[in-house]
Amino acid sequence: MKRNIWLGVAVCALVLLSGSTLFAAKTVYIGGTMSLTGPYAEDSAAVLAGFQDYVKYVNETKQMAPWRKEKWPSDITVELLWRDDELKPAKALSIYEELKAKGILVYRCSGSPVALALKDRLKQDNMGATSMSTGSFLMTPPGTIFTYYPIYTDDLAAVADWFKKGWKESRKPRVAYLTADNSMGKSIEIPEMEAYLKNAGYEFAGTQYVPLVPTSPPTTQLMWLKQNKVDLAVGIMVNPGAQPTVKEMVRLGMGPNQQYKMVFGVGTPCHIVPFADAMGDLGDGLVVAGDYPPWDDSAPGIKWMVELQKKYRPDKFVRHTQYMGGMVEAMSQLEAIRLALQTTPLEKLKPADVLDNGFYKIKNLDMGGITGSPLTYGPGKIEGVDLVRVDQTEKSKIVNRGTFPCRHVYTH
Amino acid sequence: MGRGTFQETYAQDMAIFHTPSQWGALIAFLALLLVCPVFVSDRVLTILTMIGIAIISVHGLNILTGYCGQISMGHVGFMAVGAYVSAILTAKLGWPFWCALPCAALAAGMAGLVFGLPSLKIRGFYLIMATLAAHFIIIWIILQLRSITGGPDGMAVPKPRIGSLVIDSKARYYYLVMVIACLATYIAVNITRTRAGRAFVAIRDNDLAAEVMGINLFIYKLQAFFIGCLYAGVAGALLVHYYGFASVDQFPFMDSVWYLGMLIVGGMGSIAGAVLGAVALKLLDELVTIMGPVLAAAVAAQAAASLALMARGVVIILFLIFEPRGLVHLWGAVKAYVRLWPFSREEAE
Repeated sequence: MKRNIWLGVAVCALVLLSGSTLFAAKTVYIGGTMSLTGPYAEDSAAVLAGFQDYVKYVNETKQMAPWRKEKWPSDITVELLWRDDELKPAKALSIYEELKAKGILVYRCSGSPVALALKDRLKQDNMGATSMSTGSFLMTPPGTIFTYYPIYTDDLAAVADWFKKGWKESRKPRVAYLTADNSMGKSIEIPEMEAYLKNAGYEFAGTQYVPLVPTSPPTTQLMWLKQNKVDLAVGIMVNPGAQPTVKEMVRLGMGPNQQYKMVFGVGTPCHIVPFADAMGDLGDGLVVAGDYPPWDDSAPGIKWMVELQKKYRPDKFVRHTQYMGGMVEAMSQLEAIRLALQTTPLEKLKPADVLDNGFYKIKNLDMGGITGSPLTYGPGKIEGVDLVRVDQTEKSKIVNRGTFPCRHVYTH
Repeated sequence: MGRGTFQETYAQDMAIFHTPSQWGALIAFLALLLVCPVFVSDRVLTILTMIGIAIISVHGLNILTGYCGQISMGHVGFMAVGAYVSAILTAKLGWPFWCALPCAALAAGMAGLVFGLPSLKIRGFYLIMATLAAHFIIIWIILQLRSITGGPDGMAVPKPRIGSLVIDSKARYYYLVMVIACLATYIAVNITRTRAGRAFVAIRDNDLAAEVMGINLFIYKLQAFFIGCLYAGVAGALLVHYYGFASVDQFPFMDSVWYLGMLIVGGMGSIAGAVLGAVALKLLDELVTIMGPVLAAAVAAQAAASLALMARGVVIILFLIFEPRGLVHLWGAVKAYVRLWPFSREEAE
């Protein structure tokens, strides 16, 4: 009798053990660092929301996106890993090691300082990463950090192309940089950019810097532009920099609809939707290149995200367009893993496999109209898009001024 | 020093470690540092390496601020000087790391001398402003020298090499940093026991009285700036060689504030305080990073991250109010309590 009981216990244990092995949930980790405190906090919070919703969507539906036929493996659960790096490289290093030890197969760099610090380490570990930082420095080898909107210099080239198209005067238009005084803002100051502007028929006036988050109005810088008869000012700023700058422009009577006619064009990470929301009529005339469509756009990707938000966050709709950025990053990360899973089983999957058989194999990835064009990556091609969307604020509304080819200004 | 321990010779009196138990504790600590890479994960090794670099930097700030009383808000700027000098010498001129490191330290020390010059005329709030300006001037110069420093794009920095041994793994870099951190601590301890060290303390406590006693304020204040920035230069160089990349964004102004915070938490004017402060705030940093996503379950992610950030500020404020002499004093009080137990208990009651 006793023997039978022990036998029964052993069989039960065996069944339980084998069952737990058979039905053990396979988990794949995506994510990386977010800068939830500091100048990129607003952007990063929206990115995180995008990531969270996409992970929920994939786990629930096992679909990659409503407009895509490919399915996510039904036996694999996606989990999001994130930490706040405060945009500090030192902190980002230990976070990277922590998440790597947890088995993350892809990574996310929050901004330029973090991307610069992690760049070589990511290459060393053959870890593919997405980033909302798109400085020219990412183009130089090793190039394992992938961007999903144009690099800053290509944004500005698109603004210049659009402005030149509408230029009616016989004289050359005068252009100047009005840009943030950090590595992001200054990364446009490369000889290739100036040469591009000059070849496009511009007269280059010079450069003025504005603090990343100004603590006083940039009056001197703007007056310099006025005195130097600048027609087009271009630069890279985040919204907390662009908003006070444009306010001061209006006060000084500068702008496309003001006494002194001057257009101010910036590249993403200045986002036109939160800009228009916050500035209203005061922000009329700002041009943003490389950004996402507004929330009322008819693109399938935008409609889908609106629906997702209604479902997952009915009381807290995230209007900041970097939600779309988070969504795109999560989609790219998971697509890279999905592609890599076609050649290597999850148990054996390493970051190097995801880089070689995942990120590098992403060709014409349909993003449902969220990005300027479908995404294509490869060795030496880290800039995912080939077209740059140009938008302008007009009477508090966002007006699309067309899409322009990505000029790949930076030749590294 | 333990009870019943009497120094009978000058050599014994001058020794840093007096008793066998102190030597034993040192050897055990060094042995622990030595075997750490065998047992700990890459993440812990990264944290320990960053703590080591922070300790070197805080030692410099401690000599300048804690001992000499010259508050510097430009410490990270001087780290940037060391970082870029080492980066340029190794990456552009192909110098070996071991030659570049002393040059980086010297360059940062020289920069400290230049920006320390006003310290004879100004003090307190005005000196804070002058050193704060130093940070921004240094960063501005680095950004302008694009052809040499890479400007905003930064520059790639090679891994250090000793002969044919490339220090490219985390464990090797950990050993490198720990050796330099121990050496820096040993030198800092000895600096404070020299004539200069005593002069620094005299200047900090009352510079007028110090001058009357024959201490040359100009020379000693500049010495403090030179030594403090020398340490910063070494820390900066180690930092960029660890990253493998040098960029001005790796030297944000706020880090100078945190280094001062480390001194406050650890205990100003104490070598052990500098070490304890660096360890405590770096570990707190890691704790709040982990707590962010945990707290995000209850509040919005951004609020959770901000709460964590505030926690560090609260810790510094609490120390300023309740224990301005820092962790080192707290540790001393605990030791005294244990040593006098059970009488300490009665006294407390």
